[in-house]
Amino acid sequence: MAEIENKRNTGKPPKAAFIKKNTRVDLTPMVDLGFLLITFFVFTTTMSTPTVMNLNMPFDKVPPGDLISENCVLTILLGKDDVIQYYEGMSQSQPEIKKTFFGNEGIRKVILQKRKLLQKLKGTPNDLVMIIKPSLESTFQNFVDIVDEVAINDVKHYYISEIDKEDEKKFYLMPIKIQ
Amino acid sequence: MSRAKIPRKSTNIDMTAMCDVAFLLLSFFILATKTKPPEAVAVISPSSVSTKVAKEEAILVTLTKEGKVYLMLGDKAHKNAILDDINTTKALGLSSTEMAKLRKTEFIGVPFNQLKGLLNLETPMEPGKMPGIPCIDSTNNELTDWIRSVTNAYKGENMDNLNLLVKGDNAAKYPAFKSIKESFKRNDLYKFKVVTNSEPAPPGSELANKVLLEKK
Repeated sequence: MAEIENKRNTGKPPKAAFIKKNTRVDLTPMVDLGFLLITFFVFTTTMSTPTVMNLNMPFDKVPPGDLISENCVLTILLGKDDVIQYYEGMSQSQPEIKKTFFGNEGIRKVILQKRKLLQKLKGTPNDLVMIIKPSLESTFQNFVDIVDEVAINDVKHYYISEIDKEDEKKFYLMPIKIQ
Repeated sequence: MSRAKIPRKSTNIDMTAMCDVAFLLLSFFILATKTKPPEAVAVISPSSVSTKVAKEEAILVTLTKEGKVYLMLGDKAHKNAILDDINTTKALGLSSTEMAKLRKTEFIGVPFNQLKGLLNLETPMEPGKMPGIPCIDSTNNELTDWIRSVTNAYKGENMDNLNLLVKGDNAAKYPAFKSIKESFKRNDLYKFKVVTNSEPAPPGSELANKVLLEKK
């Protein structure tokens, strides 16, 4: 017995006991650091990249050449507090002015109905012309929303116009202030 | 002998796995995101169904809730030409050191007559405190002059290179946007882009149907 013990002692150097002791490193601080960095990156970076919406303004230095059929026109006026007023046809023929709002049940329905009507009358809904008139009280969001609505409903022609004296009377708006 | 067999449970948890997860997440976030562009003025942009991604190199006009207008010349290749042009056309009389300072400024949000004073400030003014570029008044629309210099800098190139962006706040009033639009129009720029957050097309709409068709 004693001999075997002796053999073992001589076979392995006494230092081996020290190395065997503990090779494991405490990773807790490293995990802490990792999560700290994660939080830092989450707060300083953005996930969603902003998108852009194309907006083409009419070239209105020359008067338009083409006239459009009256029943193709849908005029939309953006008013105060996200209210939309609209009428179909030309303003000369004293059309009925209706009120609606943004959203699925509001303006989208109106546009869809108009498209369906044109499908019946003209055979194609692509003849629809939307005239958008943002009032002075409307916000930038209203404007973007309505142009978005054009894209959603696949309206081929739209025109961004300004409100004039005629519209003011018609829509019971605040008078335009001369700046 | 029997005592030695009793397993001694350690309170130490192996942290290796957790460490792996933490650094995996970390590398994901570093690669998947990009640093926020300097956003000195708070603007909550509206959402649209558009899926086009905004390009970095752009001439950005920012419109805040209060109706203040800022200009950011993100196109580094043309920035110097634009600034040199505005200096000569508006006779601002900026010295070369002032011009060097102006080139370093991200946001331009002061009228021309305050520009020199702003550049000589010891500590740069925070963009939120700047009065904005005057453009509401149609007789004194300074944004028009800025945009003219922008178009001058792009002269001779394909105008499609000019990436004109408007970033507006939801609550900004329409007249402010209208005056920005006017200043573009006066420089014969009819095409520009509006920065928005993307949202999906509402189900059942024409656009949603189109997208579905394209996918098929």
